[in-house]
Amino acid sequence: MELIKPGSYFDFMKYRGPVITVLGLMATLSLVSLFYPGPNYGIDFAGGTEVQLAFRGDTTPNEVRKALEDSGYSRPDVISVEGEPNQYIIRVQEVSSLPEEQVDKLREAATALLGEDVIREMKVSPGGDKITLRLSGEIHEQQLQEALEAAGARVRSLNLLTGSRETRYEVHLVGVADELTSQLREKFGDRAPQGALRVEWVGPKAGEQLRDAAIQSLLYAIAFIMLYVAFRFDLRFAPGGVIAMLHDALITLGIYVLLQKEVNLTTVAALLTIMGYSINDTIVVYDRIRENMVRVRDKSLRELINISTSQMLSRTIVTSLTTLLSVSAFFFLGTGVIADIAFALGVGIVIGTISSIFVAAPITELMDRRFFNRARS
Amino acid sequence: MDRGWYFRLVIVVGTSALGFLALWPSVDRWLPCPDIVKEAFENQINPGLDIKGGLRLMYEVEVDEYIRDRRDRIAEQVQRQCGVLIGIVPEEEVDDIDKATLTAIQQRCKVERVDKDGDAVRAIRITFSNEEDAQKLSKTWVKDYFRDLRVASGVGDLVVDLHMREEQLANMRETAVRQSERTITNRIDNLGVLEPTVIARPNDGDIIIEIPGAQESSFERIKSIISRTAQLQFQIVDDESDSRSIFTAPPEGIYLNADSQTFAEAFGENARDQLRSYIATLPVPDDHELAIGRQEADPERGGEGWRTYYLYRVADVTGEDLDDASVGFDPQSGSPEVDFMMNTRGASRMGDLTGRSIGKRMAIVLDDRVESAPVIQGQIGARGRITLGAYLDRNQLLQEAKDLVVVLQAGALPAPLRPANEQLIGPTLGQDSVQKGALAAMVGVLLVLIFMAVYYQVGGLVADAMVLLNLQLLLGTMSGIGATLTLPGVAAIALTVGMAVDANVLITERIREELRLGKSPRSAVEQGYARAYSSVFDSQLTTAIAGIVLWQFGTGPIKGFATMLLIGIGTSLFTGTFCSKVLFDWLVRGARVQRLRVG
Repeated sequence: MELIKPGSYFDFMKYRGPVITVLGLMATLSLVSLFYPGPNYGIDFAGGTEVQLAFRGDTTPNEVRKALEDSGYSRPDVISVEGEPNQYIIRVQEVSSLPEEQVDKLREAATALLGEDVIREMKVSPGGDKITLRLSGEIHEQQLQEALEAAGARVRSLNLLTGSRETRYEVHLVGVADELTSQLREKFGDRAPQGALRVEWVGPKAGEQLRDAAIQSLLYAIAFIMLYVAFRFDLRFAPGGVIAMLHDALITLGIYVLLQKEVNLTTVAALLTIMGYSINDTIVVYDRIRENMVRVRDKSLRELINISTSQMLSRTIVTSLTTLLSVSAFFFLGTGVIADIAFALGVGIVIGTISSIFVAAPITELMDRRFFNRARS
Repeated sequence: MDRGWYFRLVIVVGTSALGFLALWPSVDRWLPCPDIVKEAFENQINPGLDIKGGLRLMYEVEVDEYIRDRRDRIAEQVQRQCGVLIGIVPEEEVDDIDKATLTAIQQRCKVERVDKDGDAVRAIRITFSNEEDAQKLSKTWVKDYFRDLRVASGVGDLVVDLHMREEQLANMRETAVRQSERTITNRIDNLGVLEPTVIARPNDGDIIIEIPGAQESSFERIKSIISRTAQLQFQIVDDESDSRSIFTAPPEGIYLNADSQTFAEAFGENARDQLRSYIATLPVPDDHELAIGRQEADPERGGEGWRTYYLYRVADVTGEDLDDASVGFDPQSGSPEVDFMMNTRGASRMGDLTGRSIGKRMAIVLDDRVESAPVIQGQIGARGRITLGAYLDRNQLLQEAKDLVVVLQAGALPAPLRPANEQLIGPTLGQDSVQKGALAAMVGVLLVLIFMAVYYQVGGLVADAMVLLNLQLLLGTMSGIGATLTLPGVAAIALTVGMAVDANVLITERIREELRLGKSPRSAVEQGYARAYSSVFDSQLTTAIAGIVLWQFGTGPIKGFATMLLIGIGTSLFTGTFCSKVLFDWLVRGARVQRLRVG
């Protein structure tokens, strides 16, 4: 079976202008989409609310997960606690965040009622359901609760933490957890949990450290790949491969963002995989160009690129197809995260295939015309 | 077939067998694995948090300890800066004040650390001995030199109290938690491919760590590695001063040893705690401290032994200046130890310290415990070693040395951790998601196999055999190093399979081209491979470069991803080029096919 007839010749370079224009537009659009509408960060990046619940009757994690999904929570984590039957840790993306001006209002009202020097520190948790206060001197719970409620906070409970001279209060506010529990109560009736054992804002898994490490390693990876390509091929080839690689990742991310799919750690892994795929695809074409440069001496680089890309076209398409085949299985059969990662990979493979034909080699030709021809003449 | 071919066949079969053995313990559930194999291959594939669940740990960072520590350091700077204030030392020499001058400064203006209102307020108190000096201190002086401090009371008086600024305290709390998060992540990364989740919550001052897997036996070790502070300090032992008067009547079970230098010792199970609470009551001068270290066990008094050391408080060299640490072996006894390298600053400080203390003993103190106290024979530079005391058996020592290297490399925790909560948790994904994921993986691989066989016929069948071998080697390697497998990881494996056939595609396409030129199957295979090698190697190597960089600089999930990527590249290179050639060679030379059907 042959997809591409042997000996076919396609004038890819002729179409590079329009294709690069379209791809360039897509890349620009993707870049814009990162700021507006901006990525829909999942719990890995943005944090969320964690609630620990003890159900009164028998349930399974799946049942609880299903109930939460039906109530409109997107991809809740429902984790059973070993050794405690029917106890679950539930994580949802939603937070009951307090707007900035509300926090200021709270602080002002509390200061007005309790006095200037009494509040040493007042912090509202990023989840918006807990206020931590460090107070000097003794303030009665009742007094504090009234002060906060007067400022518009819906206080659920107050917790006095330490004695001695400093007073530390944890004030829990009515928030996501209460809503979640009441929704579960509707669905589960008698079996539903009484109240939350524990409600917490849970920070992002991917904090600054991971971001820094990711950016740093990416820059190093680009530098080393360019070095290798410049050394193994020559300088003209290096920028094309790396630009195509970044371009593929950018467009994939852009499509992801425009569809407002959740961006998580898995998405990052998918993007890295796409970059690996892209550079791989490009290098194979480069390799053929290099080979033909030695064998065919009377042709321009433009023609050489056309010949080489045409010769490799069958392979490029077959490899993309096999990869797409395995990815499509995950897209159609998988759920949640898996379907998303498969979607990203699928997009990336298609874009990567196009870019290895229309972006990487043309940039090499451009570099050749711009810098090398001038040096030659 | 020539001998070379048989040799290559042996390598292929051998590798495949090894891969299977390494994988066996992981599939014990479906295919019972004999004990002898389990002993040889201790690791197995570690199911991830999303598939199997694991251990959830919550630690509170003892932020107040961190703040006290910072306060102590600032207090030392205040003492020195006071020397400038009262005109004893010029501004430029403030970092280089010798002991005598320091005593002179202290006589006119003493800086003490005070803990007020329980422990809530960390303060610094300056006591001037005359009015004239006291007048020199102003609020601006404090503001200019110490942005962490504010004057709480007594400007112009003989006694001035300085408090830590509230907003700085908030910053310090955040820093302590962030630094702890970083250190913990590094430590777990140093342990290998565990793919933990580390979540820091600076507002609450705590850190949540989730470690995937079901092997409860390893949890204990991980816990002890996480929570170890790993503060390393080098302090000089004061063997000259008379410390006899310090040791007031010891309680029962603690013995005073007064050979050349007085020290207290205790033996038995609770010896360490006993000794610790005893020395807490002793009147130790401000510039000294008592620390505890292991002592040779005394069979008569029973159990392990511990003794005190009388140390100068100043620690000129600390673990902060450490560059690298590794497990080494003592050249004489062969017993495991930890070798370390200092950075430039550490090396020069260590040189100074040891140069002026020849003949004295230097205590290597790790987390308030003296690991060893060798006599300084000569000046020491960048390299040093920590002997772990010969009082444990060799295996214990080796484990101890390995763990120590892990924590030293990752750096010290800024403050101790207090375990707050510990739970075993179930998988984060539902059983159905996992089943669907597994089904998708199988269907995906099957689709690739069918496509290849249809499109490339015999060449495709060769590729299919390689895909299966690749899969087995990939899983075998993961099992051998105890890698963690998450559901996205399963997707990544299926994708690797899709990409790995690329090598076969490249080669088969080349063979096709050669056959079209009218070459015999045998020479088409030879030429096809020879020509395709460079594309295969270049494309895989470029991806491998990215993988190595990500592995080196990445952390957590990025590192896990890089590990998988590198293993995948390795196995697909091996199967795609080396193993497939063995099969093709047999077809064209052994079976002597007249027409090679490659589609």
